[in-house]
Amino acid sequence: MSYLCLENVVKTFNKTEVVKKMNLEIEKGELVSFLGPSGCGKTTTLNMIAGFLEVDGGKIVVDGKPVHLLPPNKREMGMVFQNYALFPHMTVFDNVAYGLKLRKVSKAEINQRVLEALEMVRLSGYEKRYPKELSGGQQQRVSLARALVIKPKVLLLDEPLSNLDAKLRQEMREEIVGIQKKVGITTIFVTHDQEEALAISDRVAVMYEGRIEQVDTPAAIYNHPQTDFVSRFIGEVNHIQAEVMESNDDQPCKVSFDGYQQVLSHHVPKGVLSEFYLRPEKIQINLENNQGLKVLVERKMFLGSKTRYIFLNNNQYLFADISNTVFNPDQIKEGQEVLAVWNPEDLLPVKK
Amino acid sequence: MRKKLPKFSLHFFCLLVYIFLAAPIVVVLLSSLTTTDYIVFPPKGITFKWYAELVNHPEFMQSFTLSIIVAFGTSIIATIIGTMASIAVVRYEFKGKSVITQLVGSPLLIPSVVFGVALLQFYSWIGIAASPIALVIGHIILTIPFVMRLVVASLVGFDRSIEQAAMNLGAGSLRVFFQITLPIIKSGVIAGAIFAFITSFDDLTVALFIVSTDVVTLPVRIYTYMQYQYDPIITSISSIMILLTVVLMVVIERVLGVGKVFASKN
Repeated sequence: MSYLCLENVVKTFNKTEVVKKMNLEIEKGELVSFLGPSGCGKTTTLNMIAGFLEVDGGKIVVDGKPVHLLPPNKREMGMVFQNYALFPHMTVFDNVAYGLKLRKVSKAEINQRVLEALEMVRLSGYEKRYPKELSGGQQQRVSLARALVIKPKVLLLDEPLSNLDAKLRQEMREEIVGIQKKVGITTIFVTHDQEEALAISDRVAVMYEGRIEQVDTPAAIYNHPQTDFVSRFIGEVNHIQAEVMESNDDQPCKVSFDGYQQVLSHHVPKGVLSEFYLRPEKIQINLENNQGLKVLVERKMFLGSKTRYIFLNNNQYLFADISNTVFNPDQIKEGQEVLAVWNPEDLLPVKK
Repeated sequence: MRKKLPKFSLHFFCLLVYIFLAAPIVVVLLSSLTTTDYIVFPPKGITFKWYAELVNHPEFMQSFTLSIIVAFGTSIIATIIGTMASIAVVRYEFKGKSVITQLVGSPLLIPSVVFGVALLQFYSWIGIAASPIALVIGHIILTIPFVMRLVVASLVGFDRSIEQAAMNLGAGSLRVFFQITLPIIKSGVIAGAIFAFITSFDDLTVALFIVSTDVVTLPVRIYTYMQYQYDPIITSISSIMILLTVVLMVVIERVLGVGKVFASKN
């Protein structure tokens, strides 16, 4: 049995189910993100795990023991809040020491553990400051130290970086992962930022309308989305259609994208239109031969390391992101006709 | 461009307003120092004999002690009830919430004479005799709105995840209240307590209806004394009341900052 298990967990607000029979298993030491748009139930689920919300059905089991009936102060979870939630009337030291004092830890040990925790988040020397004297990033680090110093069974992070500016956010997320790996603590990280989730997680649970759509490693989520929502939500996709030309049961099938023919490894019934998603960075421009989909270059946008091309084919837009080191954007002009190409393996079948 | 009021005239007007507000107080304070045995302003000569004379009027000292006790009791009980009520009103949804909010605020709207009459009627109906307790109850009703105003203001915008954080770290709800919530809303609660104290200490109208011969608060004592005599004992005891109020305001200012109490958000 896994370290943290959610079994058929349900939450209902005013007769609408916001979390629907959710099941999830998290291994010890693993960092799992809950990723989804607002209102998908990710924060609700986290609050149920922390004990701030009661479950309306199902079980939450930590380390073999059911915890869903315990009050939050008996659950041994460390939580880091979006708005830091530091105690404004206490110094940094007292904030971090609070949980240890409640556990009746000896003064000497409190002192030692608080100083260690502050060192871990690189805030040594800030013990006597008050929260309002710290920057947002520093406050969040105090909050992290406060949650970790009690050696909780599970670390819960509720959108901990969303109040920080972009640069600090990246630094902080690396710091959080570094500390998480060093301490080896089982962690749930709630975020609506997919880049963040993909960057830091061992596994990502993509949530939508109270359900987990897919739980997988970041690479698997990105490259092999299992549901239509995951395909559309993670990264960007072009939605393209192909006509199935030839299809026999034991043979690869041949499809045509407005004349651009490709052979697919999987079987699609003949005579139907087949739909695919295609990520913008999987598209290349072919200037060498006449293979490819004929498109008009509607716009070019220089984005630094890459260029975004907006192509037009039969009134359908197609976005392509091509690295400027691979393809020099000056080779083509807006209004020009070019050929767009891709590998058939990169086509993500649309699941309905 | 809008024309700016010249700095000089702005200062001048401010000064006028200050003088208008402070003048009566200064008149009372100064005329308590007069050597004449009638109240006169400006005082003739300077003496503290009227303050010494208070010793010969034990009824003033008795009333003073009674007023302090009543104000103290009122302040403590009104602050406890007011704080709990504020938390209920700000944080919970319940049936009749708006009725309670209106009801609690009504002493601010009802003239205190009317409130005094009502209290007198009610007490004689249920058979409570005039006593310091009866007066404290009346004053509690009168002062709870002040406490609630101030405490509610400090609770609005209170980030409840701070309490969740404490719970998460292992604190039970009582501990969360006393170690986290109360210290954070402290300024509102203390300000409410002091306002309740001052309101009760200064109250004449309500107390007039409840007094009996042995329950006479200081304002009532001054009022009745003045109906027969008009000597500087009145101004000296009034000066003591003024000074006490000033001391309390200074305490608020020193401990919390008056601006902070009225701006009220953290």
